[in-house]
Amino acid sequence: MKKFWQSGLMGILLTVMLASAVTVQAEELVVYSGRKDKFIKPLIEKFTAQTGIKVVLHSAKSTALLNKLRIEGNRTVADLFISNDAGNLQIGSQLSLFQPISKEIIDVIPDNLKADDGSWVGLSARARVFVVNDKAKDIGFVKSVFDLADPRLKDRLAITHSSNGSFIAGVTVYQLSTNKDKVVDWLKGMKENAGSKLFSKHSKIVKAVASGKKDIGLVNHYYIYRHLAKNPDAPIRILLPDQGEAGMGVAWNVAGIAVSKHTKKKALAEKLIAYFVSKEGQELFAGANSEYPARVGVSAAKEVPAAGSYKVADVPMRALGVHRVETLDILDKVGMP
Amino acid sequence: MSSLNYSLPEEPALPVRIWQILARKVGWLGLIATGIVVIAAVPLVFVIYSSGQLSLAGWQALWSERLPGLMWNTLSLAVLVAVGCFILGVSSAWLIARRHFMGRKLAIWLMILPLAIPTYVFAHIYTILFEEDGWIGRFWLSVFGDRIAIPDLYSIGGVTFILSIAGFSYVFLLVRAALEHSNPSLEEAARIQGLSPFAVFWRVNLPLLRPAIAAGLALVVLHVLSDFGAVSMLRYQTFTLSIYLQMNGRFDYQGAAGLSMVLVLLSFTFLIFERWSRSRQRYFASATQSRRVRLRKATMPEQLMIWLWLGLITTFAFALPMLWMIDWTLEAVREDVIDAAFWGYVSNSLIVAAAAATLAIIVAFPVAFFHARKQSTLSTSYIQLSSIGFVLPGPVIALGVLSFILAVLSPLYGGLAALLMALVVRFLPLAVQSQEAALQHLTPSIEQAGRILGAGPLENLRRVVLPMMSNGMIVAWVLVFIDALKELPATLILRPTGFDTLPVRIWIEASEESLELAAPAALMLVLGTLPALWLMMRKEKQSIINS
Repeated sequence: MKKFWQSGLMGILLTVMLASAVTVQAEELVVYSGRKDKFIKPLIEKFTAQTGIKVVLHSAKSTALLNKLRIEGNRTVADLFISNDAGNLQIGSQLSLFQPISKEIIDVIPDNLKADDGSWVGLSARARVFVVNDKAKDIGFVKSVFDLADPRLKDRLAITHSSNGSFIAGVTVYQLSTNKDKVVDWLKGMKENAGSKLFSKHSKIVKAVASGKKDIGLVNHYYIYRHLAKNPDAPIRILLPDQGEAGMGVAWNVAGIAVSKHTKKKALAEKLIAYFVSKEGQELFAGANSEYPARVGVSAAKEVPAAGSYKVADVPMRALGVHRVETLDILDKVGMP
Repeated sequence: MSSLNYSLPEEPALPVRIWQILARKVGWLGLIATGIVVIAAVPLVFVIYSSGQLSLAGWQALWSERLPGLMWNTLSLAVLVAVGCFILGVSSAWLIARRHFMGRKLAIWLMILPLAIPTYVFAHIYTILFEEDGWIGRFWLSVFGDRIAIPDLYSIGGVTFILSIAGFSYVFLLVRAALEHSNPSLEEAARIQGLSPFAVFWRVNLPLLRPAIAAGLALVVLHVLSDFGAVSMLRYQTFTLSIYLQMNGRFDYQGAAGLSMVLVLLSFTFLIFERWSRSRQRYFASATQSRRVRLRKATMPEQLMIWLWLGLITTFAFALPMLWMIDWTLEAVREDVIDAAFWGYVSNSLIVAAAAATLAIIVAFPVAFFHARKQSTLSTSYIQLSSIGFVLPGPVIALGVLSFILAVLSPLYGGLAALLMALVVRFLPLAVQSQEAALQHLTPSIEQAGRILGAGPLENLRRVVLPMMSNGMIVAWVLVFIDALKELPATLILRPTGFDTLPVRIWIEASEESLELAAPAALMLVLGTLPALWLMMRKEKQSIINS
């Protein structure tokens, strides 16, 4: 029994020691990251190698990290926040969790890819596009995302479930480019077409379309190239929706970064941002995941349709945060699974 | 002025006086227990406070739009999982406790091993296995072709399947223990009177086993109500998932707190009903009648049938997930992706789980001991209040603890304090209940004997009470250790910066579809639980022999 208590006390002692060991040192940045580790780690390793500044990556879901920042207030250890979704960045701004980034650093990024007050900045963008099976018949009529509600696509359509962040962001763009009633009808039609089989991941949609189980899917563009990189002969192609004179354009979303309001290392934090928006950093972003670099003048990977070569919906990225709850309400109302 | 002050008798400050009055009323032990229960109730206070800020219109919106659907989803799932666990748990326990067959010891292990696998790992693995190019998907297609579609796990059926194979072991453990303790003469009498074995089971065993079954199923239902891993992976909207989405999609704390409040009421109603129904079911066997149970040897066909059934259970509840983990771990070894960081996650996990388990049994002791001594309304309500952790979803406990630490103990923030507190609050009920059970053997006369022989209260505690309940303590430690090792939602929110544990890594790698990285982490989690399970089984065996 005595031993038992002793080992218990030892355990606690060890824990306390460990707890003090993880406290943060001076030349070190703490990043709350909602982006996938493997797409951010290579950049951070390069940054550390060049500057000697250590970066601690604390990964979780973006929304959960925002909640954490909010509750922690001035006790937070986070210096920066990274999210895959402009909506989350804008909501963070509105909850005043961030502080403006120096203008000269983020001047290289276009206005519609960052916050009004410079409290967050986009780093890499992605497009909501169709993946189409080459052998699919009677698919020529699909020109707009709204055509996905056409009854002719019954059981041929693959979409993700509606709690997917990219799906929500897309619906926000369509809602703002047209109107809510149209979007409600569209969702009802898609629900009908997709049947009970909704996809949990975009990669599975691409797989289903490649195997011919489904004819068409709504995905982020890079999932198509990720699949093609592994299966170069997969019978799939990308189709850009809503082009032409009357088309509203393709919906975009950006991943971005913000500086925590309560950081004591703003200068250091801005060094990391400066690296991320530098030519080298942006090229790494383009390489890591076939995304569009946010900086003008750095081009995306060769296989990706060049930015500027097609029409993009005229919705500033901050709108994804401002109008997100409206979109959630619409999805709830339709009962989108 | 000063002379006047001097002449007044010393009057202690108000808090001190309240303390003194309380100390006189409930005793020092009671005071410590009170303090612990107050801390355990922090998340509940957080929920009550936040839901108090929800406007009437907010409540009405929840009531009319959300609650009916959520109530139906959650309750129907709880019922289905309870049925699933009943079938799996009772059948396996009866076969193992009443028949002697080859590999019986192995069978016991196989039935409790699923406890080592967290629900989110089950859910993750089975969604992959059920895909068209997964093991089960391919097998299904080769047998049924396209005629019958592969079952969809993203449904109530799928969630029921996952939670049943993940939870039936609780029923198995309790029912088997009850069967080993129970008196076989009743069954023999019924057999002599001409009942078939099945009728004996139905008319004699089942009624006698009711308390054990009820306790096991209660544990299962509480796990269903608070499960986050499986329902979030399979997107089945229960209260827990809905509360999480309310907090994280809409940043609507009040709405989330309102939903949590309803869930708390639901769970408490269930707990009270369960205690009440158990209190009316007591069966006693006099000691003189009991004797060693001699198990009937199973005939060859019976052995075959037994192993067919147990094999089927273990295939899905343990073997398949395990094979999958090993397969992908080998892949990871081939690709050489297991680095030093991975072993860091392993040691982080073990340290956190061990510290949480140790703290939990220390903290649980005064509550359990107080109840064993007093058996009063107050002590009973303490026991019930300490089960808050089982009733609230993990993410809510995490936010409650986070707010509390930041407001009251902010110098402690940043280290492991918040995470440990959340884990202790979450798993305190396990520790309290096993210690309470262990203390039931402690009659006042034993303690009095110690006092008469000259031991002081502390010596008595050290030399009489603690040794008597050491088995209960170890079982409590193991139960908390296993659950703390697997815990995901609170750990995700509260872990110190850059401090990743195995569940956190599984969650991150699984969401990035890096199977070769998720599998070794899941495998290490299972392996880490094995010594703890072994310890528990050994203690259980001893207690059966002793009694």
